[in-house]
Formats: sequence, structure tokens, C-alpha cells
Amino acid sequence: MGVGILGAGPVTQAIHLPSLARLGEILTVRHIMDVDPAVAESVAARVGATHSTSIDALLGDPAVDIVAICSPHQFHAEQVIAACRAGKKAVLCEKPFAMNAEEAAQIAAVSAETGVPIIVGAMHTFDPGWLAAQENWDDLPETAHTIRSSIVLPPNARFEDFATEIITRPAGGTPDYTDPEVIKGALRGGVMGLAIHDLPLIRRFTPDFKDVEVLEARHVRPFGYVISLRTPTRTIELRAAMNNTWKPEWSFEAFSDHAALRIDFTPSYVQAGSAVATFTRGSQTTVHGPFEHNGYEGEWRELAALAAGTKQPPSAQTLIDDLTFALDIADATVANVESQHAVAEGAHA
Amino acid sequence: MSATDGIKQYTVRATPEAQEAGAVALAVASLPESFGPAAGTNQSDVHVISGQPGWAADAAEAITAGARAVIVVNPAPEGVGTLAEAAARHNTVVVLDQRWASNPAIPAAEDAVRSMSGRAALLDTVATAAVGTDSGELFADHLAAVVRIAGPLANLRHLSRGPHGYTTTAVLANGAPVAIQGVVSNARPAALDLRLLTDDGGVSVTLPEPVAAWPATVKVTGPHGELLLPTIYESAHRATWRRLKRHLDAGTSPSDLHRFAALTESITALS
Ligand SMILES: NC(=O)c1ccc[n+]([C@@H]2O[C@H](COP(=O)([O-])OP(=O)(O)OC[C@H]3O[C@@H](n4cnc5c(N)ncnc54)[C@H](O)[C@@H]3O)[C@@H](O)[C@H]2O)c1
Repeated sequence: MGVGILGAGPVTQAIHLPSLARLGEILTVRHIMDVDPAVAESVAARVGATHSTSIDALLGDPAVDIVAICSPHQFHAEQVIAACRAGKKAVLCEKPFAMNAEEAAQIAAVSAETGVPIIVGAMHTFDPGWLAAQENWDDLPETAHTIRSSIVLPPNARFEDFATEIITRPAGGTPDYTDPEVIKGALRGGVMGLAIHDLPLIRRFTPDFKDVEVLEARHVRPFGYVISLRTPTRTIELRAAMNNTWKPEWSFEAFSDHAALRIDFTPSYVQAGSAVATFTRGSQTTVHGPFEHNGYEGEWRELAALAAGTKQPPSAQTLIDDLTFALDIADATVANVESQHAVAEGAHA
Repeated sequence: MSATDGIKQYTVRATPEAQEAGAVALAVASLPESFGPAAGTNQSDVHVISGQPGWAADAAEAITAGARAVIVVNPAPEGVGTLAEAAARHNTVVVLDQRWASNPAIPAAEDAVRSMSGRAALLDTVATAAVGTDSGELFADHLAAVVRIAGPLANLRHLSRGPHGYTTTAVLANGAPVAIQGVVSNARPAALDLRLLTDDGGVSVTLPEPVAAWPATVKVTGPHGELLLPTIYESAHRATWRRLKRHLDAGTSPSDLHRFAALTESITALS
């Protein structure tokens, strides 16, 4: 089965090409497209694929059965729709799926009309550690009352460099943390860029996810967040800190009165095997994993199965619900910061 | 007091509730040269009482009745001004046996955290306790340990509280966010987890329940790698008794009540 990739930045170079290299028996990269011709050419050369700078060229290439969308997020919706309309066999859209609910609804409609299966690159949902947890969690998603997502990450570059040799890398700056707009932007980016990996997992444990409210949202320097959420039946805590540490930690936890699940994920970018899922029920502990592959490879295995028609795609509603859950939290986070700022201004007045 | 080969041994009597909550028999048996049960109805040197609400008055009474020392097991937040005065007047040593704050790993954890707290980016802490634990009590035990380790917190405020726990917010002196969560569940052994993150590492502390001598862990992470500080296989109960012995022998008075007054004040200001 042939793969075409739109956007050949660090994610394509460090995540997808190494994953695909492990799956050579079922998937072959045929076409790499990037708006930067030098990037397209050099990345394509690494895998012996055709390169181009236009989406039409890639979608018109009959060697491409599966399309992966790895461009910056603002292009995702239109590119997913174009790939479906081109009659491809399956589409992988890097997270986030879309930037607003209207875009998500449009994508769902096109997917339903064309019958092209779409998955979103929320890799943890394809991680064998998560899948093993799913098989063993009994009624925990219904009975959990407390959920935590906790992320400590070294700079992306540390892991990109373990995974590949990157040829393009955006320059960073030093933000002005006294500017409330900077904080709002950082928190929205934190939810839509980082928390979004685990929000589908959290949603699985939150039946009343539509009633989520933000109790407090705070920025963590240089980049991160502490966001306290609540629904009528759940307490949800989101924590992230991206800094200069060498020590990554990425965990998901859910507690009911009698059972707890903790999943420790491996860092992004590298192929460091699956997450490990640990259940504790009083004095009994059961551990699932680690398994040999991670969620990135899981995504590609899933895509191959979807394209071959041996597996049913996830319902579009699931993807829409995951996205609206994230958007609701991002909006409420920004609103919370605005109200804190208003209170602070009031106090100064 | 009785003399055994020139070593001072202090006699002990505990109320039944304190006996159980403080595992007093075990603690005393594990310090057999220093402490021993009081014989018959004799007055004892050390009175052990449980920290149910109203304990400060019980402790003051024990002091008036002639106790040389009082141990309070799991003290609930309440005013200790009168008690502190009585203790000072009678030269009585009052020590508090707190679930987590009395753990013998606390001084090392405190050093590690405070040496980094100027560079703190986030302090995140979770306490878990068994179903049936009152979340107010859990919070008091939790906060006592956090403040011991990290120092005073500003803007302390509950975001939510209920039978399953609490979510509480505060900030450190440098403005870094502090997130304090309590989780009531039987899923895991009760414990306190605290992590301070800096830009290039941090400190992570786990404190166990005092029912056994399982050790706390204190790990310091930095560019050099990660260092596990030496583990101490001693429960918070026994560490409290050893501390008491030191004060009795040296004739010094501990800062327990002074600290507890500040804790009570923070908790009262919250509700
Ligand atoms: N799953 C994960 O672990 C993970 C991690 C980081 C980022 N991401 C997501 O992956 C995507 C790509 O991330 P990145 O860090 O490589 O991004 P990037 O912005 O650094 O690189 C994207 C590449 O796309 C190219 N490009 C720009 N406009 C384009 C267009 N209209 N069509 C095609 N290509 C275009 C750019 O030239 C660049 O080479 C983003 O959506 C991001 O949110 C996923």
C-alpha cells in the first residue's frame, strides 16, 4: 500500500518515516509534498519517493493509497477534505483534527459522503499499552471520579534528534509573560497542542464531558499549564511542563473508590516501545506492557487495516466529540485567564 | 523516670485511641532503652493522646497533671495558643505525631526542595487516602507536610471539595503555581506525592503511611542525572518518639506547636 505525506517537517521526519520504515512489508512511502521544495526533495530522497510542492500532484498520484496530513494545523481541515474527495483509501490527520467545530462537522460530512475512513494522530489512543488497559479496565470509565494527565517534556528537539536528523527547525523566541495575550495564546496552544494527546483518553472516562468547566487555569514557565477541570461527576487535573530537563514523564491516571489505572507513556518522537498500564486494586497490582511498538506505529497499522477494509473506522462522531471537548476546554481556559486578569485589574484600580 | 545502667528511660501511658492511632506499643518497644510503659497506676513521664478535635484542652490538662511530655497523634487543626503557654510555663515538651509531616525523610526533602524553590516552575502534590477518610482531615495532613517541605504558600484557596477529595490552589514565593489535590480511594495505599519542577530538573518526594517502616523516597533531578537520597526505614511514629527523646534529654522545646498554629491559621482562613 502506498503512502503520501503532506508536509515534511519534524513530525514527518522524526515520527512517521521511522515508523513506516518498520512497516516496510505493508506500507511504502511513495510521495512527499511540502510547500518548501528543498524540504520536499530532500525528505523524499531519504525514502526514494516522488516529491512535489502541490497537494494536487500528491492527491493525483495513483501510487498513493493512504494520505497523511502533517502540515501546520491551520491547513488540516481543507487537506483532509481534499484527500477524501480524491477518493483515497484512508487518511491520517495529525492532531488537531480541525481548529473549530464547523470545520470538524464539514470533515465528518465529507467522510460520510465519500466513505473514506479518517483517523486523527492522537497516538496514545493507538498505543498497545492503552489498548491493553481498555481490555482490562472493567467498569473504571464509568466509576472513576478523579482523572489526571501529567506531562513533563524536554524540548521536542531532544527527542527529534534521537529519532532522526532534522533538516528544518522553526526558530524560538522569548515570550513576554507579563502580556495576558501571550499567556492566553500559550494556554490555548497548550490545550490544543499538548493536552490534546490525552483528552480523548480523559473523555473516555468522562461520560458527562459536555458539561466540563474550568475551575482555574494557570501558565507554567517557560511552557506548560495547570488546569483544574470539573464535570458534575468528575474531577480532572491537567498538568504540563516543557522545560530543559532530560527526564520525560507522561502519565494518565484515573481513580475510582476501588481501582486506579496509571498509564506511563513513552516520549513523543522516539520509537521507545509502548506505554505501560498499571492497575491497582487495593493490595493487588497488575501491569500490562511494555509492548514492542508505540502508538505511532499503531496508527500506521490501523491505517493499513482501514485501507485494506479489514477494520471498521472510528465513528466520525467520536472524532468530533474529541475535538469539541478540546475546543471547549481551550475556550474555557482562555475565559478563565481573562476573568483572573479582570479581577487583578479591578484589585489594582 | 527510672534509671537503667545510667540511661534515662521515660515512662509512657497512652489513651486507648492514641494507642491505636499512634501504634504506641510498637514505637515504644522499638526504643526499649529510652521508653517503657508506666507501671500500674503510676504517673507517667509521657502522655500520649489522640488528636481528635478538643485535643489541645486534653493536652493542657495532661500538662497540669504533671506530664513531662505530651505526644499528640494526628492532631486536627485547632487553636493551640493556651496549650503553648501552658507548655512553656511547665517546661513540658509537646510533640505532634503527624501522618506525613513527621516522616524522618522530611528534613532531607525540605533541604532539597528549598534549595531549588527560587527556580521553581511548578509544585504539584497529590495525597491519597482510604475511602471513609474525611477530606478536611486529609487536607490538614497534606498541607502540614507540604508547608514543612516547601515553606509558606500564598493565595491558598480550595477550588473544589467533596467526598472524593479536593483541588486546592496556591503560589510559591516566586509566583510559581502550586497545585494540591486530595484523592479519596481504596485503590492504592495512602501516600503523599510531591514534585517540584524547575527549568532543568526538580525534586520528587513520596511519603508513605506510618503504619509500617517503609521508606519515603526523595529524588533530586538535575543536569547531572537523578539522585535517590538515602532511604530511612523508620515510620513517622518512631521518628516522633526519637525526636521527643532528644528534646527531653537536652531540655529543649520543639517548634511543633508554633508550626501547628500557623497551619491552623491557614486552614481557618480557607473556610
Ligand atoms: N503526534 C505528535 O506527537 C505530534 C508532535 C508534534 C506535532 N504534531 C503535529 O504534526 C503537525 C506537523 O508538525 P511539525 O512540527 O512537523 O510542523 P512544522 O510546522 O514544523 O512543519 C510542517 C511542514 O509543513 C510544511 N507546510 C507548510 N504549509 C504547508 C501546506 N499548506 N501544505 C503542506 N505542507 C506545508 C512546512 O514547510 C513544514 O516543512 C502539526 O499539525 C502538529 O500539531 C504531532
